[in-house]
Amino acid sequence: MTQDYWRWPESTWTSKDIDWKNSSTITAGVDIGSNSTQAVVMCDNSLFGYANLRTGPDYRESAGQAMKQALGKSGMTIRDIKYTVATGWGSRNVAFAQKIVDEVNCHARGARFIYGSSVKTVVDLGAQTCKAIRLYDWGRVSDFMMNDKCATGMGRGIEVMADLLQVPIQEMGERSLTVGKDPEPVSTTCYDFANTEAIGLFREGYKENEVLAAYLFAIAWRIHGTVGKVNPEKELAFTGGLAKNAGIVKRLERDMKMTALTSEYDPQLAGAIGAALIARDTVEKD
Amino acid sequence: MITAGIDVGIENIKAVILKDGEVIARGTVRSGGAKRAMSAEKVWKDTLAAARLSPSDVEKVVATGQGKGDVSFAGDRVVEPVADARAARFLYPASTSVVDVGADQVRVVTLGKGDGIAEVVMNQKCAAGLGISLKSMSRTLGMTLDEMSRQAGNSRSDIAVNDGCGVFAEMDALGLLSRNVPREEVALAVMEAVAVRINSILNDKVKPAKDTTVLVGGVSKNKAIVDALKRRSGVNFIIPEYAEYAGALGAALMAAG
Repeated sequence: MTQDYWRWPESTWTSKDIDWKNSSTITAGVDIGSNSTQAVVMCDNSLFGYANLRTGPDYRESAGQAMKQALGKSGMTIRDIKYTVATGWGSRNVAFAQKIVDEVNCHARGARFIYGSSVKTVVDLGAQTCKAIRLYDWGRVSDFMMNDKCATGMGRGIEVMADLLQVPIQEMGERSLTVGKDPEPVSTTCYDFANTEAIGLFREGYKENEVLAAYLFAIAWRIHGTVGKVNPEKELAFTGGLAKNAGIVKRLERDMKMTALTSEYDPQLAGAIGAALIARDTVEKD
Repeated sequence: MITAGIDVGIENIKAVILKDGEVIARGTVRSGGAKRAMSAEKVWKDTLAAARLSPSDVEKVVATGQGKGDVSFAGDRVVEPVADARAARFLYPASTSVVDVGADQVRVVTLGKGDGIAEVVMNQKCAAGLGISLKSMSRTLGMTLDEMSRQAGNSRSDIAVNDGCGVFAEMDALGLLSRNVPREEVALAVMEAVAVRINSILNDKVKPAKDTTVLVGGVSKNKAIVDALKRRSGVNFIIPEYAEYAGALGAALMAAG
């Protein structure tokens, strides 16, 4: 039996309580990243449905599929949605969207919905990029910084590591935190190097969890470097898939003296929620 | 005399049992992670069972491959280029060089006089990602490596992705997908880039001879990459039937003396 260690759980949810036919404004947001796609439907100020799926090779199909699953069995169709905003790496592929908005503004907006309106620093940890976003008190973006060109050490790299070490991707973070003392971080987060590096560590007698710790510490350090450039507040709102990796977030808190805000919402939905909220703003302005 | 070779690669572990110069059993299992030593034991047990032998029937086991140190039951170890050379000479006595393209390494072994090796050229640490980024791409494209090879073979396109870095190649490929380039064409571009990187290693020192070069290792089974590499290098590679077992075969031959 071969297990897909790299495969993260997809999720989908549709509200059974909201009477959408009686809501005044229904909007949607679709965030197509290179690895994951989220669709979110909002009725007025409430989350009505969402889907968080793996992006397939056909982006248009992924967008449609996510939307379909977010609507679920509610009886709502795309025609009932007043306005849809698309964002993300593949945003131009959302045929049913009226507008495209950049990821920075969508994540900023979504993070304030998820973590509350006091959020001033947002850190989006995606499949290929780390974006640190600084906000004014009233929520507008004042500054933002991205990792350098290379995509390594982000979500795709984590998938590669999960596959390489044969550790289920959702368990990597927690497992890495079970080591008593973190070993030296690996010298590079490059995942093309990672196998050579990881095997070398095994040979030196490192245990599996220590290899994870060495790797995740290096990633946290790289993120810390990007975040440091936007003059961050102490409290950070993490969004994106890696926000769910405790091995990265806890190290940023423990070793780099940052505080991660928590929420009941899935932080991976931030971009799409932000897009749906911006869609609502657009409707209200008209 | 019965001997065996175990080749512990980064992606797969291969075992070959040899009886009087003939292969009587082969086995393979997925490698990787901290459990690699256990996987080596598993493939060894399975291969013995396939040959209906018990461990005591086997005179000697020799291990090779990146994880050769993890094979507790090996009587001896041999470095990979030596195992490659031995297998190539055994399979094709007239061969003059052997190219081994695995999950993370490209080796060009130029055979010398007698049993000797004249030169070994390997990729630098960085091209190590070859197999890794291919696999990562196959997940994104929703195709197995076999399917990528087949579909790319049917596709004609001159789009390209970065051929210097596997991570950048993936970023380029993801950009193409977001612009609705068909996935077959993206697969082709990724494989062409791999061929470019392998070819640069072929050209590094001793260029392999046109008609007496043996190609082994897992990637030799990928037709799209092999075709691209043949076209780019002008080398008409000889590819043995069980090319991915060449290292294990070489080790088993070394065990026989």
